[in-house]
Amino acid sequence: MTGAPTASGEGGSSGTDSPAVPIHLRPARASDLPVLVPLLLRLKRLNEEFDPLLRVRDDAEAQALEVLRASLDDPKSIVLAAEGVGPDKDKVVGLVHAVLRERPFYTPEVEGVIVDIYLLPLYRRHGVGEYLLKEISAQLKAKGAGVVIAEFPSQNEIASRFYAKRGFRAITGRHARSL
Amino acid sequence: MGIRQLTNSWNDSGKVLIKAPSVNGFGMAESVPAPVDRGREPRRRTRAPRSASEDETQTDELGRRAVELSRFYGGKIETVPKVPVRSLQDFALWYTPGVAEVSRAIHADPDLSFDLTGRWNTIAIVTDGSRVLGLGDMGPEGALPVMEGKALLFRWLGGVDAVPLPIRAASPAAIIETVERIAPAFGAINLEDIASPKCFGILEELQKRLPIPVWHDDQLGTAAATIAGLLNALQLTDRSVKEIRTVLLGAGAANIATARLLFALGHDPGRLTLVDSRGILHAERSDVDELSVRNPWKYRLALRTNGGGRTGDLAAALAGADVLLAASTPGPNTIRPAHVRAMARGPIVFALANPVPEIWPQVARDAGAAIVATGRSDFPNQVNNSLVFPAVFRGVLDARARSIPDEIVLAAARELARHAADRGLSEEHLLPTMQETEVFPHVAAAVADAAVRQGIAQRRLSHDEYLHRAETQMARSRQLVKALVGSHLIPPMPRAAPPTSRRRTR
Repeated sequence: MTGAPTASGEGGSSGTDSPAVPIHLRPARASDLPVLVPLLLRLKRLNEEFDPLLRVRDDAEAQALEVLRASLDDPKSIVLAAEGVGPDKDKVVGLVHAVLRERPFYTPEVEGVIVDIYLLPLYRRHGVGEYLLKEISAQLKAKGAGVVIAEFPSQNEIASRFYAKRGFRAITGRHARSL
Repeated sequence: MGIRQLTNSWNDSGKVLIKAPSVNGFGMAESVPAPVDRGREPRRRTRAPRSASEDETQTDELGRRAVELSRFYGGKIETVPKVPVRSLQDFALWYTPGVAEVSRAIHADPDLSFDLTGRWNTIAIVTDGSRVLGLGDMGPEGALPVMEGKALLFRWLGGVDAVPLPIRAASPAAIIETVERIAPAFGAINLEDIASPKCFGILEELQKRLPIPVWHDDQLGTAAATIAGLLNALQLTDRSVKEIRTVLLGAGAANIATARLLFALGHDPGRLTLVDSRGILHAERSDVDELSVRNPWKYRLALRTNGGGRTGDLAAALAGADVLLAASTPGPNTIRPAHVRAMARGPIVFALANPVPEIWPQVARDAGAAIVATGRSDFPNQVNNSLVFPAVFRGVLDARARSIPDEIVLAAARELARHAADRGLSEEHLLPTMQETEVFPHVAAAVADAAVRQGIAQRRLSHDEYLHRAETQMARSRQLVKALVGSHLIPPMPRAAPPTSRRRTR
């Protein structure tokens, strides 16, 4: 599940090479994993704030490593590392994780699902969210996705507002209860 | 003659003097704690710290006595009339049928409720009892004696009729809704002892929704007194608020508000570091995303402060700092001498935890602190919210202000600071003491002036007129109590029972 890539989603980026955006995106590498895992855990712990059914497991760190490692090797997944610029060049400050899924009953036949977006708080705003969304959407489209889907906790109102402002709408819901 | 002309004085309007003190006047019958908030201890100018066991003994003794007296007097306040009742015939004026015309007039113009009833001088002290003193969640009933005490202070020091209103409210939304519903009866609202961080959202929302002033004393009262003391401490040590590096220890209601006021005074956010139980608050701390959901006020400070990117504990934060404002865990070893020694030369240390400051004043001085303030009356430089809230409410009620923006809070702080400075600043005289009651009308007038400048005063008077009204109303309160005590309508305090025969009531 993704978080809101920006706190408010305000501002706008002109695209992948906008000089106003204080980050740089590149494909993640295996060597990034020690940095990416804590960032992914931060996102999962944030999700935990929204619902007790999203309580983070004790072995979440190991799971995060496994999931990201598998995605790096999977042609149907995309993992991007966000690096700072200027003094923060080479510092990984966020990640974007998306997967391609078949849609056997619907068209478009392939959907690109943004499952995780996380940026350290100081790197949010300034149009960064817009930039991340455009970039991952373009890459998912290049891999054959006809629709982009964002997953995030239903109670995350900031994420809801961010995506709604950019034309996203709820098409299916996941309703849960404990057993 | 219109209705407004019929009421010759807004001081006299309304019929019921709500919640007049029913206890003895302070110090009139026997020695009791000085009239300060939070049950602070009697004023004794001494630097020698008492031992912990002496503190405990004194606190126990005061507690036992408070229970005895609460039982004897049946609480601390009561409602008494403020109009003559010569015979039952007078109720044709004060009640039906005469009052119907008053009711019709207010129905036609609700603003007349400030002229024709006691609303102009009546506030509610609202709490859910979720953070009472240092006791924690005491529930609304448990909060009632504290709110009664607060009402007594409002009356005695500010001449304000204050109604204690502990409410059973399960959520911030319930508190907000309740206060919104009761607001038509009050000229202002004082929120009290509501836990952090929900207190921030409740205050913000009520300030947006209500056309009357809303104040949360745990945030604004303490912050204003802190700022007042700090302004004079900076002057004494030849520092500017725009250049200092400040550490706030504790991230509760008072320090979050203090940070905001410091920024309003021009303090560089990057030169302020906040430290809580998890160490230095910074933008990459592991709990910062949780804060964005649970405590957005603290989250915003995490992003905005600590420009040097410091991480670690209090010691790391304090290295080279000019000012330490601690409102955290009672000491005396929360702050250690080594912490003070690590600060810049001649640092300013405010150790405001009660009942025991984070560091004893003399220990801080021995470690190099140029100026030390605490929350206690038995040390010099007591930072006391009771210096602030009675006068602020007097001022906003007299100006019939629509709100209490930060500019008004700062005006109160500046006036407090000025008053102390006029009497000569020293390392042991940063702030007026509670005995300097003449400061209250001056702060009230400064608050009312600020409301006029902010364009939120619905009763615009000159400074001297505001000052005169405040002096009159405050003096009247004390005269009233003295008269009731002198006539024995408020009975003298009974002698304390000998310790051996006392019954522990809780």
